[in-house]
Order: sequence, then C-alpha cells, then structure tokens
Amino acid sequence: MNGEAEMNSGDAILMSIRGLSKRFPGTQALDEVSFDIRRNSVHCIIGENGSGKSTMIKILTGALERSGGELSFEGRIYDPKSIREAMSEGVTALYQELNVVDDLTVGENLTLGREKSRLGMIRSGEIPPTLVENLKSLDETIKLSDRVGDLSVAQRQVIEIARAISTDCKMLIMDEPTAALSEEETGRMFKVIRKLSAKGITIVYISHKLSEVFEIGDRVTVLRDGRVVGDRTVDEIRNGSGCDSESEACHELIRMMLGKVVQEEYVPSRNRTEETLLEARKIRTGKLKDVSFELRRGEILGFYGLVGAGKTEIAQVLYGIDPFQGEILMDGRPVRLSGVSKALGAGITLIPEERRADGIFGELSIRENIPMMRMEKVLRNGIINRTLENQLADRSIKSMSLATNSREKKVSQLSGGNQQKVVISKCLNRESTVLLMDEPTRGVDVGAKQEIHDIIRNLANQGKGVIVFSSELPEILQLCDRIVLLYEGAVRTVLDNGRGLDGDRIMALVAGREASA
Amino acid sequence: MGANSRPIQVDRQKIVLISILAAIIAVMSFLSPKFLQVSNFQNILLQLAPLIIIASAANLLMITGNFDLSIGSVLAFCAIMHAFLSKQGVPIGLSIVICCVLAVLWGVSNGIMVGVLNVNPVIATMGTMYAARGFAFLIARWDGGANISAGLPGNFSDFGRTNLFGVLPIIIVFMVIVVALFIFIERKTVLGRYSFAIGGNRRSSVLSGINVPGMMIVLYSLVGLLAGFCGVVQVSRVGSGFPNIAEGMEFDVVVAIVLGGTSMLGGSGSTAGMILGAFIVGTAANGLNLLNVPYFYQTITKGLLLIVSVFTDQAIRRRG
Repeated sequence: MNGEAEMNSGDAILMSIRGLSKRFPGTQALDEVSFDIRRNSVHCIIGENGSGKSTMIKILTGALERSGGELSFEGRIYDPKSIREAMSEGVTALYQELNVVDDLTVGENLTLGREKSRLGMIRSGEIPPTLVENLKSLDETIKLSDRVGDLSVAQRQVIEIARAISTDCKMLIMDEPTAALSEEETGRMFKVIRKLSAKGITIVYISHKLSEVFEIGDRVTVLRDGRVVGDRTVDEIRNGSGCDSESEACHELIRMMLGKVVQEEYVPSRNRTEETLLEARKIRTGKLKDVSFELRRGEILGFYGLVGAGKTEIAQVLYGIDPFQGEILMDGRPVRLSGVSKALGAGITLIPEERRADGIFGELSIRENIPMMRMEKVLRNGIINRTLENQLADRSIKSMSLATNSREKKVSQLSGGNQQKVVISKCLNRESTVLLMDEPTRGVDVGAKQEIHDIIRNLANQGKGVIVFSSELPEILQLCDRIVLLYEGAVRTVLDNGRGLDGDRIMALVAGREASA
Repeated sequence: MGANSRPIQVDRQKIVLISILAAIIAVMSFLSPKFLQVSNFQNILLQLAPLIIIASAANLLMITGNFDLSIGSVLAFCAIMHAFLSKQGVPIGLSIVICCVLAVLWGVSNGIMVGVLNVNPVIATMGTMYAARGFAFLIARWDGGANISAGLPGNFSDFGRTNLFGVLPIIIVFMVIVVALFIFIERKTVLGRYSFAIGGNRRSSVLSGINVPGMMIVLYSLVGLLAGFCGVVQVSRVGSGFPNIAEGMEFDVVVAIVLGGTSMLGGSGSTAGMILGAFIVGTAANGLNLLNVPYFYQTITKGLLLIVSVFTDQAIRRRG
C-alpha cells in the first residue's frame, strides 16, 4: 500500500529523507528523522535551539556527513560529499552569515568566484544577463553599481539569493533569514520568497518564529531533541484540532516544539527564606527592557521564555559579561558587575550554557578541571599538591556520581552528562552564594538529568540561591520554587510554583499570545 | 585504574623525538670522526644554552596559544645596553640588573598589547621586534660607532666567562636552573595550570575567572627577561657588543618548541619535549658544520627537518 502511495506522489516529492541520523561524541543530534519535502512548496522546519535544525541543513548541503539513513532527491539517491556537489545537484543554502563582500559593488558580488577572465585579468562588464534578470525580478530597487556595504541586510540577502538561484537551483534552504531583519524588511523578504516560489523553486525555511510559519509556510516539520515530533500542512494545523484562531494554532506548534508538558513532581526547597540574596532593579540592555526581580536565600528561581526572550542575556549581565543600565544588589548592597572577576568576587558563579565552548577544558583531565576556579583548594605552600588534587577529584566524582574509570580521563572523552557534571563540580568549588545555571541539562540524557536536578535541589537546601535558566518547561516546573516568565526581553509575570500551575497558561504567556493583564 | 591515555600519548611522541635524535647522532658519528667527542658535545651545549633558556619560557607562552617574535631583538638590545652602560662607568652588577628590568619592560609591553589591547601576537611582537632592534643600533650609535667593542672595563667579561668549579660555564649552569624551574612551573604551579587552560579554551578560562590579560603580561615578561639575560651573558662572554646579534633567533625558538610537540594553537606541550627539539636542531646543525656543508644547505636541511618531524608527529598522533 505504502509503495503505491509513494508511486502516486512520486512526482510531487522533491526530496525524501528516511531514517536520517547523526551522532556526535556524547550526543545524538539527529535520530531517525524521516519526512518529505514537496516540490514547489515552502517547507518550514521549526524547533528550539539544539533540536537538530542546523545539523540537518548541514547534512542536506553536504557540509556534514550523516551517520545513517537515506536521502533521495528527484527520485535519485542523494549523497553529496561537499557543498559544491550539493549545489551542482540543485541544493543551495542561504546562511545567516552572509557571504557577500561589502567593499565590492552589487555587480562584482554577483559574479564573485566566476569572473570571466583572460590570463588572470578580469574582463569587466560581463555579468550574465540571467543573473541581472534574477536580481531585478526579486528586487528592482537594487542597482548593479551600488556598493554592497551601503545596502540593507535584506538587500544583501537578495543578492545572495540571486546568486544562489543562478546555478540551476531547485531547492533553496534559508536558515533564519529574518533573524536580523526589521518588520518591514521581513515583509519584503516574504515577497521575495513568494516570487522564488512562483519561479518553481522549493524553499526550506528554518525558523523559530512561529508567526512566519503561518505567513508563508505550506508545510511544517517540527523537530525536538533530534526527532520529528510533527509533520503537517499548515492548513491542517490551522483548521485541525479545533483551532479557530491563529493564536491557538501557534499554541499547537509550541506544544509540539516544547514537548508534552507532564506536570512532574515538584518538590519545594526545604529551607526557603524571605531573605533577599540578590536583587536586580530595572536592568536594561539592548535586549532587556527594565528587568527587575529578586532571589531569596534557599530558593530555586526559574527564568523561562522562548529562544530570544532574554534568558541568556540576564545570565550574562549577572555574571559581569555584558554591560547594562540599572542596579544589582547583593545582600542589600549595590555591586558593580563590570567583569567576570567582579561577579565571582561578589559571590556569583555562572554554569554556562555551552559547556564545550565555555565550560570545560577538554584536553585536560577531570582532576585538572575540577579545581580550576579555586586553585587555593589544592595548593600547599603555593604549590599544586597532587594528593589534595586527587582527593578533591575523587570527592567530586563520588558526590556527582560521575561515570568514569579514572580521574585522569580527558574531559573531552566523557559523555555530555558527565561533562556537565565536571563543569558543575568546577563551578561549585568556587563556593559562591548565588549560582546561575544556564540550561543545566541541555544535551544530557534522562538519567543524568534527574541526577543534575537533585544536585540543584541540594544546593538550594544548603542555603544557596539558585537561578535556573531553561527553555524546557518540564524542567522549570519540576525544579523551581518561583518562575519568572520572559517575553521579548521583559518580565511578563512572576509565578509561585506548586498550586496546580497550568503549563498551557505558561506557554500562552511566553508566546506573547495572552494580554499581559 | 591507573590506565590513562595522556602519559602514553606523550611518551610515544617523545620516543619519536628521541629516535630522530639518535638517528642524527648515529649518522653524524659515522660521517665525521670529530662528532662523537666530549669537546664537541660541550660545543653543542654552549650553542644551545641560550636557545633552551629562552625557549623554556616561550614554550609556556606557546602553550597558551601565543608567541613572541621579539626574542632576538630584545636579546640584542640588552646585550648592547649592557656594554653601553658598563662603558659609561655603571657598575657591572647594577648594569645587569638595569638590563634585566628593561628586558621585562619589553615583555610587559608585549603582554599589554596582546592580553589587554587584543592586538594579534604576530603583529604586536613583530612591532617590538623592529623597535628593540632599532634601539640596539641607536645605542651603538650613541656610543659613536656600529658596535661597542673598545673601551669596555677590564672586568666586563668576568661574568660571562665564569666557570663554576672551574669546569661548568655559567650559561650551562643557568640553563640547568631555568629548565628545572620551568618543569616545576609547568607541572606544579597555578601559572603552569592556567597556561594549559588558556591555550585549551580561552573562553572557558575567562568565564572561570582566570585573569587572562595578567597571565599574558607575566608570560611575555618571563620570555623578555630570559632573552635579555641571555643577551647580557652573551655580550659579557664575547667581550664586545654588536647590535645585529641573534637575528632570527625567535624562529629557532619556535622550531625547537614545535619540534618538541607543543601545538601552535596552544593547550598542549612540555618543557622536556622542547629540550629534545632543541637538541635535534642543534646536533644536526653542528654535524653539518663539521662536515663543512655550506650554510645554505644547512638552512635547507633545517627547513626540511622541521616539516618532516612535525608531519611525522601529526601522523602518529592522528593514528594514536
């Protein structure tokens, strides 16, 4: 039956993805992903950070090798070994980082890399007419003699699109093309996308802005933790499941993106007090709008919001990384957080989100990583004492139940969960009173997740103030005593956990779909 | 439990280096009867001593992922400065101290440019390289010539030509002390640990509260200090100051360090490996000299040796 159905729709399907998997050391980025991309459609792929979107694009464009699964394009097996090979098959990607040279003119950029030359001398004035036509058809306001640096971001994207579609492009992958665009430019970009569609080019549109899906998408695939959790036409979502408004349809997508919210058991911190440890007053940065909150001794405070709501920005301000306006008080006294060392001095430690880039020293052993933030602990007479170091490492391995056969193992060889435990151990050795945990369990398997949650609860019970920044609602609901909901850089509301808190209502608030009243 | 991958890997790398060194020694002793003599090895040691002293600090610097191209110029600057001050009647001991302080200042300025102002280390230290060399010529000019050889006090050469117990040249003694010190720093001190941390993951280091700019200033100062000190010893031993000495020495230092297995990107390396690297370069050069191979062939050999050794090392490490 299945075969028959595929035969019938064989012509309509441009690319079919079957069982696509990608494993990185420590994480499964894509896990048996299967779906079809229909010819001449605008196919949206959405998902939170770390859901596998970018890994997927890289495999489709030949930039990354897959670990398993099959791809077919136009009915033939598709197995590009390089970006160039993918392009020659007709698959091109438009990345967030633009690939244009600001100091050259539009015309020079269009022909970049394929100048007609004789004996190394460029013969100018020979831009292929198809290229010029492509550009004009997408945006007639761009002149060939304009310097690219003077154009807007959207116009620069158009130049790249014109270049991309000049090479017999059948499928154009756009990675969050509107991320850096104003509302007006976004509108113009959508027009360009519709024109491309009219030319018969299939668009794969990556985004995490849900409203865009409804605006231009034909079909949407939702990824979560490297798996497909939804693959439907936009009309189905709009009309199905009793959604009668776009906001409810958005809800439905958020539900798919974030996962089913099962109210897991929330255990209130045992030693909550009313004593304020840290207070932020009207924090303002380029992204944050008058964020105020307070953290009390012995509690776990959660910050929740979609990607881009301002969670990471708040963590960076509190850890002295980003400059800000406003006031921060520790124990009632104002502190100046003008650098990491100032924040550490004030008693604030950050357990960073990107552990590989920001947390671990991969080439060093567990033993060498753990005391890194407070070397005094392993010094005797100013000299590193191996016995003290071994003892500290063994204690941490035991208390964190770190799975390793030796404290001398390089941290880069550990699994994601164990790496995270090393980062946490390293940060805990600093013995700060306030701990900021940015996505403490991202990319960590279920068992380790539970263990890390227990560690966080213990810290609060020991009288520390813990702030958890997470994009996983279950984690927030399970862990946090109070929850700050963020929407577009502002605090929407602060909720007390426990009294039958409604996951759906939280999602509505963070999606900005409910009036703030 | 005791099994861990790191020492095994390092050992294998050292075995390769020792084999290369042994091969060079075997071939050279076969080709030249003068090679395998005590006096010749004393020669090799004397030639390598300044290189190994400076490379001890430069190795730690390269472990952080940075390097210093101003080594040769700072050495020449301090050498000529020492001759100049001594000729002006400054007591020898005081002059040595002044020159070492000036050497540290060159290092501090490198460290501030790289660590605080975030200037690319190649550019920053290349600037210092030209500036210090220029000053060296300028000082010779103040003295009224192209170099400072006449009119130095009678005891000027005493320091550089000191032999401990009558047999050990002072520079060799310093070499042993400095090497021991840096092996200790590398393995047992916060400075050493932070160097590996910064080279391995600079962002993690910053977020862990490590004072990266301060570390850069300290390490560049150490390199500067040792370069300047070697300049002082050298000018004292030779008995006259030339502003053009040690040209290109920074590259010999880099060659020894890279041969020794320290990554140009930082994060790994060892003093012991650097010493092996220095001896490979030193014995090869010495042997070719004994064989009366013209200088340009020696340079070609040095280039090939560097490329082949690093390539072999990479191939082995990739498989390992």
